[in-house]
Amino acid sequence: MIRSLVYSLTFHTVMIILTVLSLPFMLREPIDLPPIVSVELIQISDKTNIPYAPKARKIIEETKKKEERIVSEQAPPAAKAKEKPDRIPLPNELKEEKKIVKKKQNPEEIKPQIRQSSEFEKKEIVDTSQIAALIDKAKEVEAVKKKESDKITQSSKKNSFATGLTLSEEDALRAQIFGCWSVPLGLPYDQDLLVRIKLNLKKDGTIMKSEILDHERMNRPGQKFYKVLAESALRAVRLCQPLKVPPTGYDKWKNIQLNFNPTEMLKG
Amino acid sequence: MKKILSIISFIFLISSDSLALIEVDITRGNLDPLPIAVSPLHVDIKSEDFKGLKIKDLGMNISEIIEKNFRSTGLFNPLKKEAFVQKPDIAHLKPRFEDWRLIKAQALVTGKLLIKDEKLKVEFRLWDLTAAQEMTALAFTTTPSNWRRVAHIISDKIYERLTGEDGYFDTRIIYVAESGPKNERVKKLAIMDQDGFNTKYLTLGNELVLTPRFNPTNQMVTYMSYFRNMPRVYLLDIETGTQEVVGNFPGMTFAPRFSPDGKKIIMSFAKDGNSDIFTMDLETRVVERITEHSSIDTSPSFSPDGKFIAFNSDRSGLQQIYVMRSDGSNVKRITFGKGIYGTPVWSPRGDLIAFTKMHKGRFYIGVMRTDGKGERLLTENYYQEAPSWSPNGRVLVFYRETKAGEKGEGFSAKLWSIDITGYNERKLSTKTDASDPSWSSLLSK
Amino acid sequence: MTLKTNLKNIVLVIFTTLILSACSTAKKSGDIDGDVYTGKETVEYLASGVPDRVFFATNKSSLTTSSRATLRKQATFLRKNKNLNVTIEGHADERGTREYNLALGERRANAARDYLMTYGISGKRISVISYGKEKPVNPKSSPISWSQNRRSVTVKVN
Repeated sequence: MIRSLVYSLTFHTVMIILTVLSLPFMLREPIDLPPIVSVELIQISDKTNIPYAPKARKIIEETKKKEERIVSEQAPPAAKAKEKPDRIPLPNELKEEKKIVKKKQNPEEIKPQIRQSSEFEKKEIVDTSQIAALIDKAKEVEAVKKKESDKITQSSKKNSFATGLTLSEEDALRAQIFGCWSVPLGLPYDQDLLVRIKLNLKKDGTIMKSEILDHERMNRPGQKFYKVLAESALRAVRLCQPLKVPPTGYDKWKNIQLNFNPTEMLKG
Repeated sequence: MKKILSIISFIFLISSDSLALIEVDITRGNLDPLPIAVSPLHVDIKSEDFKGLKIKDLGMNISEIIEKNFRSTGLFNPLKKEAFVQKPDIAHLKPRFEDWRLIKAQALVTGKLLIKDEKLKVEFRLWDLTAAQEMTALAFTTTPSNWRRVAHIISDKIYERLTGEDGYFDTRIIYVAESGPKNERVKKLAIMDQDGFNTKYLTLGNELVLTPRFNPTNQMVTYMSYFRNMPRVYLLDIETGTQEVVGNFPGMTFAPRFSPDGKKIIMSFAKDGNSDIFTMDLETRVVERITEHSSIDTSPSFSPDGKFIAFNSDRSGLQQIYVMRSDGSNVKRITFGKGIYGTPVWSPRGDLIAFTKMHKGRFYIGVMRTDGKGERLLTENYYQEAPSWSPNGRVLVFYRETKAGEKGEGFSAKLWSIDITGYNERKLSTKTDASDPSWSSLLSK
Repeated sequence: MTLKTNLKNIVLVIFTTLILSACSTAKKSGDIDGDVYTGKETVEYLASGVPDRVFFATNKSSLTTSSRATLRKQATFLRKNKNLNVTIEGHADERGTREYNLALGERRANAARDYLMTYGISGKRISVISYGKEKPVNPKSSPISWSQNRRSVTVKVN
């Protein structure tokens, strides 16, 4: 008897509390979500490719101050955004976000140029006008090559008359690079994925000079993946060195071109 | 003829340029995830205390979030920290590349952080270890309580630099949190970070809520609620918590989604047993009828350019996917495979439509091109549906239910994700059972 | 007519009935006819002899003969109780996508409502709500429970 009374009492209080609590349809109070991070993008890389000194913090401070100037030099900023680095009150968040976007665009636009110079400035730059003229034709040649390869095993034909490597020598080299090449995942299957790298080799198979032949494509809009792909190919070559080259015939193979193309593998 | 000429001239150019240059075709490589070392961020000793934060561990914690994000992609293999050879602060100044290469890392992330004047300053660098070069470096300033987001933003920047695609880590997922027995489910709107942290509930569970979806700026959510037993589409402002009914329809409205510009909501309205698709302009409140057919037309989804709408309809007898212009003209059926098709969702890139397929008692999540060709089924299970795209269009999140026994035991609903390649299927960690996920866009974009 | 032909006819009739029933039992298993639940297990009653629900085939909203009989009983009951209003709840099983099921439940509830209206019940007395797959009456994942969940239920409002 007492038990059921207790039950009934607790039940009713719970119900009353629930009703009182749940009368408002929704949680009315603002939900405490972490605010948008105000992002200060600082291109440290373009300032400090040199070994980084312990006074790094100072440099960063300087970089930060210079940032706006750099931006305006490279690409006139659409908006002179002056943001407070602090968290800002919620209602302003949207505006703040927009500012960030605008500001961000500039460093991003610059990035390719910077990257290019930092990675390739020391390398001999190919005659780009010539290359550009050849790019379209290269595709056609590719197509022809593909047709050929249907009949004859991939690339061995080219080898037989054009080069100074024997089949087994070429296979050894190819197998070595297969092992070193981490193909980036997430490449678009329907795009041209050919990366041509020209190497100047030392006698021991280490690399004197490496050069991406179509490297201007790396900075073209919508071709970000190509840059990633080209970098992965470069990484493979560097990881692999010294390359497995024949002991003789240095003059024949001191210049060598590697054609990286993962299309077949990705589709297969 | 022209072609042949140009090919000949091309060959001539090549051969004259470099006589008998050896060419070797590299058509294979390994598809192993990229080995990457994420060094703990160095914590500046001048850092001041901040309430609720263990500053000493912060550098380690941020690096662990980055690692977890990377591992979840299936594209990277974060290496074990025990093998790390350099102290974080020194590595951040200039890594000894040879040493890091020894542990088979190809990329290295270093960083440091400082908390001063209630502000968290974080900087990081990404190093290409084989080229012995810095690939990118950035610094952020924010309030210290935002440290998890900083970790996600860093992850996004590195992902972007290494894959050429936008990241998707600084994002949230809104979903329906479920609890209770299967025939008396309590459902609440919930929002969490993409990695399952910071779960917040947006409704109390007094009424049934379904199918929440973000607007393009992630500030608003449209969803369906049975408030006062009137199933209607609602609009919720996440920041203020205010909500309102969308439109004054004399009957059930459901299956809402935002238009890509965020100005309209597209949804189904059921009247006298017939469901058609309507849009409502949020500013002018003008309602527009898009489809008019005696069949069930529902689950509409705009293409990212706003020009087309995909939806499912049973006008052919069974549920199939159709595409039409955004004004409702030019309706074309795009699915003709065996089975029935539903929940089309246009990818953010606009090239694919994700869908649910039911065939012979099994449920599939798949993608196809927008003309219905090139169908690829990514995953098969007892029950799963409602795919939602990651903002970069690489991953789908959906929900999966398990079989239930006599009293409903064994039943669960969970969120899962899978790459559009069909690889890397993963269960998302949620505090409760979960369904109807919707992925936000990047918060920091 | 001799006894012999009579007997012959009887045998023939029995034989054909057997064949026919064999046909129908092939379709029938337990309480499911074709795809539609025919049992009484989950059924409740608005009044004595007036079942509250009818069942549907997968992805269908058409009424079967026995559904019509049930609804006629409901119509009679509603005619007798002029002050009573009802809500018809439409439901679907768990083997469909959520949004489509909401529409399907709506369609089923309206099928029942339309039938009641043809038997003279004012549409004003009947409201309709769809719960899709959200409120299964039987939580088990089995063909029998799915057939019990594909239903429209007439519920007294006042």
